[in-house]
Amino acid sequence: MIERRDSAPPPIGRVVATEQKPATPHQFHFWTAKETSIGIGAIVTVEEDTGGGSDEQGLGRVVYGVVTDGFAYSDLVTPLHDVVGAEGDPARAAESPTARQEIRLWTAAVLRQRPEEPLQPVPLGRVHVATDADVAQALRMDAYLGGAEPRGIPVGLYTSGGLEAPVYLDADFLLGPEAAHLNISGVSGLATKTSAVEFLLASVFEHFPSHKGRIAAVCFNVKGPDLCFLDQAGTLDEQDLRRYDRLGVEPKAFERVRYYAPFKSDGVNLNTLRTHPDLVRAVEPLVWGLREVLDYAEVLLNRDDIDAKADAFIDFLSDRVVGREFDDGFGGTHRVVTFADLERLFRAIFDGLEGGGGRSDTWRTHHIATIRKVRNRLSNISTRAKGLVTDDGPSSDLPWGGFEDRAVYVVDVANVDPLGQDLVFARVVSKLREYLERRDLGVDAVVVFVDELNKYAPADGPDTYVKKMLLDISERGRYLGLVLFGAEQFRSQMHRRVVGNAGTIVFGRMDSDELATPGYQVLSPATKIKLATLPIGELMVRHPHFTQPIFVRFPRPAVLRGRDGVDRFPPAADLPFEDAVVRQLVKLDVRVRPNLVKDLIADRREEDVRRALALTRQARPHDAFAHFKKLLGARVSAAPMPVRESVPPLNPISDEPY
Amino acid sequence: MARSWVEAVLAAGAVPASAVPEASLGRADIETFTGADPIEDPELRAHSLAGVQALAPGAVEFLDGIELWRVVGYAGVTPIVCAHVAAAIRRRGPDRRPRTVAEDAEELAITRLELLPDAVRGALERGGVRVVEIPAEDAGQPARALPAARVEVEKARAALERRVAERRLEALAPGEWLVIDGVISDSAALSAHPRALGVVKSHGAQYFEGAELERALTLPADHRTSVFRPRSRGARREIHSWYLRLWPWEGNDLLYGLIRLEARAHPDTVATASALSAWLLRERAPLATPDRRWDRLLYPIHDVETYLRARAPRDVVPYPASRLPRTGS
Repeated sequence: MIERRDSAPPPIGRVVATEQKPATPHQFHFWTAKETSIGIGAIVTVEEDTGGGSDEQGLGRVVYGVVTDGFAYSDLVTPLHDVVGAEGDPARAAESPTARQEIRLWTAAVLRQRPEEPLQPVPLGRVHVATDADVAQALRMDAYLGGAEPRGIPVGLYTSGGLEAPVYLDADFLLGPEAAHLNISGVSGLATKTSAVEFLLASVFEHFPSHKGRIAAVCFNVKGPDLCFLDQAGTLDEQDLRRYDRLGVEPKAFERVRYYAPFKSDGVNLNTLRTHPDLVRAVEPLVWGLREVLDYAEVLLNRDDIDAKADAFIDFLSDRVVGREFDDGFGGTHRVVTFADLERLFRAIFDGLEGGGGRSDTWRTHHIATIRKVRNRLSNISTRAKGLVTDDGPSSDLPWGGFEDRAVYVVDVANVDPLGQDLVFARVVSKLREYLERRDLGVDAVVVFVDELNKYAPADGPDTYVKKMLLDISERGRYLGLVLFGAEQFRSQMHRRVVGNAGTIVFGRMDSDELATPGYQVLSPATKIKLATLPIGELMVRHPHFTQPIFVRFPRPAVLRGRDGVDRFPPAADLPFEDAVVRQLVKLDVRVRPNLVKDLIADRREEDVRRALALTRQARPHDAFAHFKKLLGARVSAAPMPVRESVPPLNPISDEPY
Repeated sequence: MARSWVEAVLAAGAVPASAVPEASLGRADIETFTGADPIEDPELRAHSLAGVQALAPGAVEFLDGIELWRVVGYAGVTPIVCAHVAAAIRRRGPDRRPRTVAEDAEELAITRLELLPDAVRGALERGGVRVVEIPAEDAGQPARALPAARVEVEKARAALERRVAERRLEALAPGEWLVIDGVISDSAALSAHPRALGVVKSHGAQYFEGAELERALTLPADHRTSVFRPRSRGARREIHSWYLRLWPWEGNDLLYGLIRLEARAHPDTVATASALSAWLLRERAPLATPDRRWDRLLYPIHDVETYLRARAPRDVVPYPASRLPRTGS
């Protein structure tokens, strides 16, 4: 992986130390010629002048450092002397026959010393530009690149002075179990964060050590078309290809990508930008029913109004009511499977309590106000996330237990209501954890990529269910193989424990205001300036093996960028109900004849058609049309929907606006 | 850097010392009235350099030397001096950045051998260092011995500068100039070379009296005097010379910004005196600060001195250290 140094290059500088600026075990200063290839972030080596020998007292010491600051000054005593010399004319200052002596003085932070003991001040030796082998030594990559089970994951190229040295992360520290998680921050709009994660995922898939088993990724697409075209090849230039080659990563789109998106409110058109006819076949609907929602109802109740009573009532519904025959105590028997069934139960309870003359305001020990609150929240999610949550009918979900190795599962919730996004996120991650704990997900590790992490785990704000869950993943996920790759614009506004538990921290171009926050005080002013002006494709990486942040360049991801994807595969317009049903049936069975479908559903209720379609999709029969026709039957009688007007207004229990 | 000959001398019985004399003032000119013969004008007058086309050589080489010395021991009251002299030429090309093209250095021991005990003398003679003797009449009295040693150091530096400059003359390409810090009349080769120019900052020698002296010393800024030929210079070669005022002296001192230039005694020198002077006016920038002589010191010369001092052995460089008695540690 690493090319060895054939011969020592000529020195480019020399360590200097004064009483004011001494060399220490952690920092040193060196000068170079005015014309030098090094700059902020460059890795250098210092070799002690020993006359060729080395001993146990530290002679022959080699020190690796990274440049953190630079200074230039001349022998000019005061600016006034320059004014005098130029007789007050700036143009003449440049005409002086002799150029003043100038210095390029650099400050470097020590990355590593060889030998490591005894730890001593940096010797006043020769400074060389680091080679590939030096970079590996400096970043302690030798500990995980060699041996019988190498664990290096290429993250980018360290580039300086014409050198392009691969930089590897340790899989044990990126994906667990030693440490885990990656956090990337940077300003929005440069496509750096998403691109970096896309490249890194490709790198992880290609270099995930075989002894660590199988790996997959679940990516939440939370805005626009960012992750909608991961299976489509993007455009790469020669420089990108060379970098891919140097990093040992094949420049290709992801081979196994599964897309999941909820329906729009019409229940038949997918709520995603990946609806182009050529691509929509790879998109599966994400539809959840009552059971799926009820298990994570805390997500819906945890804003301001969570209390033990509501929690207890939800537990009661989940344990005693849903999915079984249930006597409501007023003479009715219910089998609650769908939201519609639940609504009928609620109606029966309210009617029963009110019909009794209003003498009792409790039902099965639960106060009517609590029941009304829970009903309100549950019906609320089915309204606000209509398309994700189905009032009735079967659910459609990720392939729990059947995850494939090196597959990416994209959950597109970009156009879903924020509450629905919370629900999706909470449920998917919880299910991942549940299956990984049981070791029956189908893979041994899952990378969960969440963009806009600020939204889910902010530093301030209430302790939401999602935030608690993210904390739990951050602190314990590495033991399960549940790895969080989070991205956000402002790291300073993130929950400290979420970012603090990320073993690998990546920075793209940063906002100056963000860099002024206390979290960046450890960085030198020069490093901050570099971060504030970082070009697209360059990152600063902190990793447990690296004692100092390192700047790396990564190639553009080999997949189609979201915006380009939308240009090349423009989303299809929403189809009329009939056409949308036809498209879904054709997707199941290409032999389906559209006219027959349209004739069949011409005078049917849309709810019946949707229900039959969902069941057909769930069954995936050999003859989709026949199955669909059978389910639809001659006529599906419409279930009488409860008349909402008869429900008394809810007592305001909380100040929630909805 | 410990010197073996110093250690040997001390081991042989000399008492260690660390006296550092005051810094040298540079290559001194003769300090007597000698007179001058007019060359350009019947009597000395000022020539304005306004509008004069300055000479603009493509490359210029600048020579300077340094001397550093200290008393390292005493044998009785006879001082044993360690001296370091060095000279260098730095060439300034089109990129305006000086680079060293010639360099030499020498280490000396200065004392009076006959006054040293046999053991110390033997150690010194075996030390491999060139020994220069101070005159016998100055050796017995320390108050005279140290100035005599200083004279010997200055002689050694001047000789070294001369050698370095003369060796370099052959390498000087057509159109290139060699600017020397100090007089060139002590070298036959330098004083005869068409493109060797001496820049003298000290004005101990007096060439004029009366009104001419006043004209010379009150020369306005951006003016030069007529070219003249210094007279009665003993072993020194015939050269042409003139004064040039780099900075206005009013408000400062008569010698402020005043330099004297030396070039070969040739009609071409007279013809090019103004162009040469205009060129040196351009050399005022950048200022040679923080050197106290910056009003007369050209920056490239200052640069050569800085270079030499940076490369000088550390144990002869004066440093601001306490001279309190040393502790046992």
